[in-house]
Amino acid sequence: MESSFYYALGHDIRRKIIKIMGDNDYTSFTYLKKELGVSTGTIYHHLETLSELIEQKEDKKYYLKELGVYAYNSLKDNIEIIKFPKRVFKSPILKKLMVLTSKRFISFNKKDRIYTILISVIIIILGTIFSYLNGFNSFLLFFIDTNQENLLLLNQILINLSFILNFFAFFIIVESISRIFYKKNENILNFLISFALIQFPMIIYLILHFIFEYASLITINIFNFIDKILMIIFQVWSLWLLSYSLSVKKGIKIENCLIISLLLHYSGFTIILLTII
Amino acid sequence: MELKKIFLVLLLGLSGPILLILSEFFSWFSDYNLIELYVLYTDLQIEYSFLFLFPLISGIVCLIANVLVIYKVEFRIKSIILSFVGLGFQLLFFIDHISQEIEFISNAGLGFYLGVFGFLLIIINVINVLTTVENQSGG
Repeated sequence: MESSFYYALGHDIRRKIIKIMGDNDYTSFTYLKKELGVSTGTIYHHLETLSELIEQKEDKKYYLKELGVYAYNSLKDNIEIIKFPKRVFKSPILKKLMVLTSKRFISFNKKDRIYTILISVIIIILGTIFSYLNGFNSFLLFFIDTNQENLLLLNQILINLSFILNFFAFFIIVESISRIFYKKNENILNFLISFALIQFPMIIYLILHFIFEYASLITINIFNFIDKILMIIFQVWSLWLLSYSLSVKKGIKIENCLIISLLLHYSGFTIILLTII
Repeated sequence: MELKKIFLVLLLGLSGPILLILSEFFSWFSDYNLIELYVLYTDLQIEYSFLFLFPLISGIVCLIANVLVIYKVEFRIKSIILSFVGLGFQLLFFIDHISQEIEFISNAGLGFYLGVFGFLLIIINVINVLTTVENQSGG
C-alpha cells in the first residue's frame, strides 16, 4: 500500500490529477483532459496507476479514496503547491483586457477564497446601496429608472433589493445555460463566490452616476453624454468579466462564452423594451 | 477562409453597420431625420441631443469592427468587443428613444426599419464570426 502511494505521487501528471480532484471534490474525464492537456491514453494510464487512490463511481466521475485524500493533504501541506494550468490568451487585446480583469479573484485559489467572498459581499452591498440612491431597478446588466414615490411599501422594498435578487437570478440563468447547452456543472460554488465580481464595473458606473446626479451635472449636455458612454463601456467590461469567468470556471471556450454573454445581454434588452412597450 | 464564408462575413459584416449609418439620414418617427433632430435638439433640449447621433456612432464603430475582422481573422475578438461597444450605443438609443415614441411605432419611417435590421444583422454577424470564423483561425 505504502509503495503504491509513493509510486502514485512520483509523477507530475498524477500529482496534478490528485490536486484537481482534491480541490474540486471530484472530477470528470473531460475536465481532466482539458486541464492537463495530454492525450486520452496518457490520462487513462495514470488513472489506472492511481487505482489505489481514486475510484470511479456510478455517475462516471472520479473521486478520491481515503488514501487519495491523504495523498492530497500531503501534497497540499508538505510537498509542493501545484499550480493549475493558467488560461493563457494569445491575442494582445485579450492580454490587455486581462489587466482590467481581476484574474486573481475570478480564478481564485483556496488562500484567496475568503478575500473573494469579502469582495463579492462588498460589491453586493455597494450595488444595493447605490441602486437605491440612484432610484434604479436592476435587471441583468441594465438599470431601469424608477419613480418610487407612488409605490406600495412592498414594491419599494423589492426595488431596493432588486440588485441582490438580480444577482441570484443572473447567476441561475448563466449556470443553467452552461448546464443545458454545454453540459458543464462543475465549480458551482466557486462560480457563485466570484460571480459578484462581474458586477464590479457596474458598481463604478452606479457611483459615478450618483456623483453626476448629486452634483446636478447630469443636466449638462456633455456630462449626460459622458454618463451614457460610461454605461456602455462598463457594460462591455462586465460582459467581458462574465465571459472570462464562465471560461475559467466552466471550461467553456472564450468564443462560446462571448456568445452566451451577448445573447444574455440582448435578451435582457429585448425584455426591457417589451416591458416598456 | 472559404469563399462562401468570406462572402457571408462581408455581407453580414458590412451591410449591418451600413444600414445603421443610413438610418441616421431617414426619418424614424417624425418628418425629420435624426441629423435634423440632433440640430433641433441642440437648441431645445441640449442634454438630449447627443442621443440622435447614437445610430451613426454605433454604425461607424461596428463598421470599423467588421472591417477589422475582414482585414485579419485573428482580430476577431477585438472586433467582437468593438461590436459590443457599437451595439451598446444603439441599445441605449432604442431604450431611450423608442420608449418615448412608442405610440407612433405603427407609423414608423424607413429609418426605424433600417435601424432595427442593421442592429439584428450586426448581432447575427457577431455570432457568425464567433462560431464560424474561429475554426478558420485555429481557435
